[in-house]
Amino acid sequence: MSALWQVFQLIWRDQRTPLLRGAVLGVVVLLAGVALLGLSGWFITAAAAAGMAGVGVSFDVFRPSASVRFLALGRTVARYGERVLTHDATLRAFAALRVRLLQSCTRAPYDRLSRLRGPQMLNRLIADIDALDGLPLRLILPLIAGITTHLLTFAVLWALAGLTIAATLALGFVGGGAVVLIWAGRVGFAPSRRAELAAQAFRSRFIDLVQARGDLAVYGQLAVQKSAVLAADSRRQSARLAQDRVERRAGLALSCLGTGLATVALALGMALAQRGQLSPALAAMGFFAALALLETVSPLRRAVAELGRMTLAARRVVQGLSAPALQSGRSHAATALRFDAVSHRRPGAARPSLHPLSFTLHPGETLALAGPSGAGKSTALLLAAGLLHPSSGTIWLGDHPLSGWSEVALRAQLTLIPQRAALMAGSIRQALTLAAPEADDASLWAALQAVALDQVICTKGGLDAQLGPRGAGLSGGEARRLSIARALLRAPAILLLDEPTEGLDTAIARDVLHGIRRYLPQAAILTASHRPVELDWADIVRMIP
Amino acid sequence: MTQQDDLGSAKVLAELVAPERRALRRAAVLSGLAALIWPLQAALVAGALAELLTDAAPLWSHVAGFALLGVLRAVLNHWAEGIAFTAGLRVTSQCRAAIVVHEATRSDGPAAGPIAALAAEKLDALMPYVSRYAPAKARVMVVPGLILALAFWHSWAVGVIFLITGPLIPVFMALIGWAAQAASQRQMAEIASLNDLLVERLQALLDIRLLGAGAAVVNSFAEAADRLRAQTMAVLRVAFLSSAVLELFAAIGVAMVAVYVGFSLLGLLGFGSYATPLTPAAGIFLLMLAPEFYQPLRDLSAAWHDRAAALAVAVEWDEWHLRVDPPLLGQGAVAARLAGPADIVATGLKVRLGPHLLTLPDFSLAAGETLALLGPSGAGKTTLLRLLAGMLQPEAGQIQVAGQPLNDQTADGWRAHLGWMPQQPHFLNASLRHNLSLGRPGDLTPVLRAVTMQDVVAGLPQGLTTRLGEGGGGLSGGEARRLTLARALHARPDVLLADEPTADLDAATAEAVTAGLLTLAASGCSLIIATHDEALAARMHRVIRLEALV
Repeated sequence: MSALWQVFQLIWRDQRTPLLRGAVLGVVVLLAGVALLGLSGWFITAAAAAGMAGVGVSFDVFRPSASVRFLALGRTVARYGERVLTHDATLRAFAALRVRLLQSCTRAPYDRLSRLRGPQMLNRLIADIDALDGLPLRLILPLIAGITTHLLTFAVLWALAGLTIAATLALGFVGGGAVVLIWAGRVGFAPSRRAELAAQAFRSRFIDLVQARGDLAVYGQLAVQKSAVLAADSRRQSARLAQDRVERRAGLALSCLGTGLATVALALGMALAQRGQLSPALAAMGFFAALALLETVSPLRRAVAELGRMTLAARRVVQGLSAPALQSGRSHAATALRFDAVSHRRPGAARPSLHPLSFTLHPGETLALAGPSGAGKSTALLLAAGLLHPSSGTIWLGDHPLSGWSEVALRAQLTLIPQRAALMAGSIRQALTLAAPEADDASLWAALQAVALDQVICTKGGLDAQLGPRGAGLSGGEARRLSIARALLRAPAILLLDEPTEGLDTAIARDVLHGIRRYLPQAAILTASHRPVELDWADIVRMIP
Repeated sequence: MTQQDDLGSAKVLAELVAPERRALRRAAVLSGLAALIWPLQAALVAGALAELLTDAAPLWSHVAGFALLGVLRAVLNHWAEGIAFTAGLRVTSQCRAAIVVHEATRSDGPAAGPIAALAAEKLDALMPYVSRYAPAKARVMVVPGLILALAFWHSWAVGVIFLITGPLIPVFMALIGWAAQAASQRQMAEIASLNDLLVERLQALLDIRLLGAGAAVVNSFAEAADRLRAQTMAVLRVAFLSSAVLELFAAIGVAMVAVYVGFSLLGLLGFGSYATPLTPAAGIFLLMLAPEFYQPLRDLSAAWHDRAAALAVAVEWDEWHLRVDPPLLGQGAVAARLAGPADIVATGLKVRLGPHLLTLPDFSLAAGETLALLGPSGAGKTTLLRLLAGMLQPEAGQIQVAGQPLNDQTADGWRAHLGWMPQQPHFLNASLRHNLSLGRPGDLTPVLRAVTMQDVVAGLPQGLTTRLGEGGGGLSGGEARRLTLARALHARPDVLLADEPTADLDAATAEAVTAGLLTLAASGCSLIIATHDEALAARMHRVIRLEALV
């Protein structure tokens, strides 16, 4: 629930004015509806009474009938305005929320970022936020409008039809509505939550089934996976049925509440009219107002029945927004990279992922970290790139500790090429300008030439050649070289390379390595390497056990 | 969308809903009955209020009747909605199950993203249509006609008002419906392009951050998100406008009736009714009926919007449905191994590869032998491996495995012999332990040691309970490859099928993988390896060279 409130506050802060206007129009719509029906009932009954008394000619028909027309048109216009305003405000707030989620996603800790599953994250950005539109549109704004309408209607009815009828309707609708809606919210919470969880399980299991169909078939797990997918759907189905049952029962209860209160208003009005304490026309007005007041509670049932789903989505969104703020700090000159007894251990891990390591790397030098896999070569690079934080020791970049650098300044000075650099669908030019939006074609070609990829790209059709999803269309080695070229375009002072030539023939590997050095003669280069060709190329080789 | 397509998708939609026709008819009847109760309630109230104007005793029985009928109406509606909802749920669930079952038996299919979006989300757009359209149509058939008749019975003038304003609603509905359909198609396209844009960006977030391109990517996303908002608002605006226009017509109609009735009751109008002036009871009755005359028409126009969305889904369903992909053999279920040594004999195999009919060489492989399939890309190496695993059926020829033909009956038993190393590893959204064991019991330490991955796995944040990214994110390519070998080893195969096990690996890692394969072969397991790597091929007992397609 607190997550829901947090999300609503975010929406409110973003779109306060349009939402306030929408809420006011929402009150206007409901009030106009009540006034329209109440006034029409009064008008017809009063007209009939005047006609029977033979004083029809002196009855003022114009003001009531003009009011009826005004209310009817006004309600239509107000409803259109309210809908457009609140939906537009909500969608704008959601677009902003999505952007914030994506932003916070880019700041997520390395361990989460590297293992992020695209479909799951997509679901969070799209479906989770969509699931929350009921919160302002179908729950909070209608609730505010409904309560305000009851307060005003109570005051007017008290003045016109007496306290008894006014109080009965106000207390009956607010109290009875609250009982029904709270009941529906409680009982419907679990099934609506279950339905959402089952829908997610269905999605992720089904994607696995399609993507790993062959693997699953060979290991005899395709049938198991199929049953698991179908089981998720049947869980979803029964949860949806349960949720719908709650919603419909709430609808039934509210409908009966409306009929009951209209009946009571009619009976009270008739009794009072018979005793001469109320005119028949005002008695009719109470009854017709009661009919219209059902509009204040009835639409809430749907939002209430999906509270479980909304809470689940809100919790994930709030959690997604909670990534640590990007490192702030200053920009400095990056002269040298120095590790001072730096070690790293993941929380709960049996052994450290990096034993204490010290070295100093000066501009123009190349240092290769060597050692068996699992020794912590990649960890050292991630630490140097500020993606992981040392458990002990200090990393110095220039004359300042790494933790004192701002994210923006750090990325401007230092670039890491991870082991699996990701490419995306689009042209070669787009792939490269991701790193350097301002670069002209000549500099793009120069970077490609440095990694001995210019010939290959030429034969593929130049910078405008299109790559498929995940860089499809390039071999593994070509993709590797393209990702290196992309990083070179950043012209970093410190370049971190994690097994830069994995998947390349020795001859090409040597060309690429020398090309990198030629392209960045002054850069300090730190690599994690085990290939002889990389170790030969480095100025210093540092074994880590 | 042309008229022709429109008819086609309407037909598809009708077919999808057909199994629930009876349930929907029941829901429609109940909903129609519920709607017919209102005139009775209105008559009772009108009678009671009219009596108040005279000095007669209050008609308490009318009040009680109003309440009872109101409850009955609510119960009937509740019942009808329940039936309609269940029917809608069954329609979507059946479509979803059909997709799952079919996708689990075809050898290859569409990309996971769009088909998952169809099955998981878009099919839900059928629900509102299925559950609301038929009852709304039933109410339109019954209620306005009846109210019109009642109106004419009391006052021809009110009848005429209804007769003129009523038909305007469906006309406007159709006009606005076209605009709505076009707008919602643009919106769907925008959603699809936003999803495409995002899914890759999300998988490349680390690179984007390292390249300092985070802000640029977030900005381009913000633009796309705002475009989507604008498209969605366009759809909503049409829907809101259409409902506002319909409400306006209804309001004008009701106001005209109210004014006419009011003036008649005052005795200022002497025409339009048979009893002059109109009786108070009839006047109140007609006024209470007026909104209900328009309501079914407005409901139907709302359901018309649902129908537009459902038609769009029906088109996509039909596209999926019409795809013909050859099925894979067997069920992909756990089965007892086929008896006998794991020999393979392939004769006269022909297989369709895109536009080409590919002829594959005959060969036989005794249990324990090792074989390399060499050849350029597109020569059919992967296809042959898939044929041998029963993931694909040949157009001609046959494969004998363990002395029996490979077919639907034997495929699962044959696959129980196999290990499999795909070229692109895929990790399920489950723990690494589950990904490696895939339901087979046993300790994973020996196989991790065999592929020298125990240290890497121990260094993962949660060891064997870590969830990796779907392509093995969090590991290097070579490490992910070695994990697929570990998975194969854990299945204790008699035959290992490996697709490019050393592609994109440096020499040292390639050597480690090769050593793992040869150790497996030394223990008596057959190897069939599709590769470009001549050095690896040279270490197999035999080599088959596949020719490139011209």
